[in-house]
Amino acid sequence: MSGRWRGWGLGVAASAPLVAVTVASLAFAARELAGDTPSSWGAMQNVAEAAAMGQSSEILRLLRDGQDPRRVWPVRPEIISSTITRVTALEAAVWSRRGQEMELFDREGAIPDAALRHELACLAADILAQEVVAYLSPGKTPECEAGATMARVLARPGS
Amino acid sequence: MAVTAPSAPAGPDASRWTGLSYAYAALVIAGFGYALVDLPVQVSDSYGNLVKASSGTLGGLVAGEFHQAGYLRPFLWGQLRVVMDLSGGRYYEWFRAWHVGQLALLTLLFVHIVRPRRWAEAMALPVGLAALVGMHTFAGTIREAFPINTFMTVLLCCLAAADLALGPTRWWRDVAGAVLSIAAALTVESGLLVPVIFVAARIAGARGLSGWGIATQFALVAGYFVLRFLVLHVGSPQLQERSSGFGFAMLDPADLIARFGGNPLPFYAYNVGSSLLSVFLSEPRGGLWVATRTLMAGTWSSPATLNLVASLLASSLVVRYAWVRRREWWTRRTDRGDQIVLVFLAVTLANAVISYAYTKDVILSPAGVFFALALTVSVAHLLETARGGRPFGAAVAGVLLLALSTAWGGRVVGSYLGLRHSAAVMRQEWGYIDQLLARESNADTSAVAVRLKRQLQDDAVRRHPVRPALRGDWVEWFQE
Repeated sequence: MSGRWRGWGLGVAASAPLVAVTVASLAFAARELAGDTPSSWGAMQNVAEAAAMGQSSEILRLLRDGQDPRRVWPVRPEIISSTITRVTALEAAVWSRRGQEMELFDREGAIPDAALRHELACLAADILAQEVVAYLSPGKTPECEAGATMARVLARPGS
Repeated sequence: MAVTAPSAPAGPDASRWTGLSYAYAALVIAGFGYALVDLPVQVSDSYGNLVKASSGTLGGLVAGEFHQAGYLRPFLWGQLRVVMDLSGGRYYEWFRAWHVGQLALLTLLFVHIVRPRRWAEAMALPVGLAALVGMHTFAGTIREAFPINTFMTVLLCCLAAADLALGPTRWWRDVAGAVLSIAAALTVESGLLVPVIFVAARIAGARGLSGWGIATQFALVAGYFVLRFLVLHVGSPQLQERSSGFGFAMLDPADLIARFGGNPLPFYAYNVGSSLLSVFLSEPRGGLWVATRTLMAGTWSSPATLNLVASLLASSLVVRYAWVRRREWWTRRTDRGDQIVLVFLAVTLANAVISYAYTKDVILSPAGVFFALALTVSVAHLLETARGGRPFGAAVAGVLLLALSTAWGGRVVGSYLGLRHSAAVMRQEWGYIDQLLARESNADTSAVAVRLKRQLQDDAVRRHPVRPALRGDWVEWFQE
C-alpha cells in the first residue's frame, strides 16, 4: 500500500466514527426542528399523559394553558398500560406513584373537594401507590371498597 | 534555557487543512449549541444567585464578595450581574446565548492551539474535540447553568493562557497574561491554574511570555494568597462543608470529621491521587470508585465500560507520545506539540493538588481540556509515524485508532444525552419550585424574588417547554 493510501486509511480510522456522530447529531437536530421526534414517544399529548409520565413542567404548562385535570383524556397504551387508556390527569398522577406530583395538582387547585380526594386515595390504595395514599389521606388508611375505583376506571368506554 | 525546535514545516495545502478543521469545529459547536440552548436557568445554585445578584449596585455586589468566608469569587458575581443587566429581563435568551458563545469560543481556541496545518493534525482534531466535549470532567461545564457556568469561564481563561504562552514573545502577552490571571483567580479558585499554565509552558520551552511576564505571574500568585489569607481572612473551605467520595462510599461531613478530623492529610492525599487517576482513567469519579463497585457487584454498565476503554486507549497514546519524545524533552528541544503535552502534565498535577480538600469531576475540567489537547498531539504523532512506518505497524495503529475514535464517539453521544437529560431534570425542578420553597424555612419571599421565580419558571415551563424524552436501548448504552 502506498504512503498516500495508507495515510488516508489511518485518517479515516481516526476520524470517521466521530465525524459520523457529529453529522448524526446535526441530522437529529434538523429533524427535531422540522417537527419530527425521532427515537421518542413524542410530546405529551395532554395533561393526563404528562401526569402519567411524571413530567411536572408539562403538567404545569398544560394546566396553565387551560387543560382540565378532571376531564377524562385518552392516554397512549405505552404510557400507563394497554388497558388503562382513558383517565383523568389526577388518576394518571396516581399511576405516577409520586405524592409530590399529587401535591402539585393540589396546589394548582385541581382537587377542590373531599369526595374527589377520597376517590383518588382509594384508587391509590387499589394500585398500592403508598406515597400517593399518604399524601391524600395522611395518617390514616382510606375507607374504600377494595378494587371498586380501579374497576370504574377500567369500565370506561374506550378503555 | 530550552531551545524550541521548529515544528516540521507545513505543506502548501496548510490553509486547506486549517480551514477544514475550523469547519469541522463549527459543526461540533452547532450540534452542542442545539443541545445547550435547551437548558433553562436552573433552580439549584442559580435562582438564589440571581435573586442575590439583582439587589444593590454592581460595585456593591463585587465589593461584598471580597469578604465572604471560605470563597473569594467577586468576578463570578460581577459577570453574572453584568449579563443580567444587559439582558433587559430576557434571561433565558441571554444566559443561553452566553453559554453557547462560551462553548464556541472554547472550541475555536482549542483548534487555534492545535494549529492544524497538516494532514495528521487535521485528522487528529475530531478525536481531540470528542475528548474535549465527551470527557466526564467537561460535563459539569455544559450541563449546569448557574446561570453563567463559572467552570466554563475558567476553561476559557486556561485555553487563552495556553494560546498566549505558546506564541512568540510580545510585550502585550505579558500584560494580557497578568489580566487573565487576575480575572481567573478572582472568578473561582481553580483560576489559579492560569499562572501554572504560563510557568509550565515557559519551562517546556514556550516563549509567549517574557521573563518579566513570568515574574509578574509569581508576584500575582503571591499577592493572591496574601490578599486571601492575610488581608481579607477569607480562608478556605473546611472538611465539614460537604460530603465527599471515599473508596466505595460517600462520606458525610460528620463521617469525614470522625475519620480524618484529627489528621486530614491521608484524606487530602487520597483526593489528590483520585483526581490524577480520574483524568487518565475516568475512574474514580469525585473520589468514588463507581465503575469498579458496579463491576464487583457483578453488574455491567456499558457507559462506565465505554468511559474506561476510551480513557485507557487515549492515555496509552499520550504515554506513548511521552516515551517516544523523552529524549527531546530531556535535552529541552521541545516543539509546540511537546509543550502542549508538558503543560497538560503540569496542569493535571496542579489541578489534582488544588482538589486536595474536595474533588469532583468539574473541578478537574482544566486538566480534562488539556488532556484533550495532549491526545490530539499524540494522535497526530501516531498518524505521522504510522504512515511512514511498516505495514504491520500501520495496521495495528489503524485498529487502535478506530477503537479509540469509536469509543470517544460513544462518549460524545453520552454527552448529548446527558445534556438532554439535565434539561428535563431542571424543568422538573421548576415544576416543583413552589413545593421546594414552601419547605425552606429561609426562602426569600420578597417581591423581587417572587417576580423572578415566576419569570424563570415561565421561561422553563411554558416559553421553552421540555423536548421529548429519548427512548430506546441505545439510550441506555450511552447515558450514564
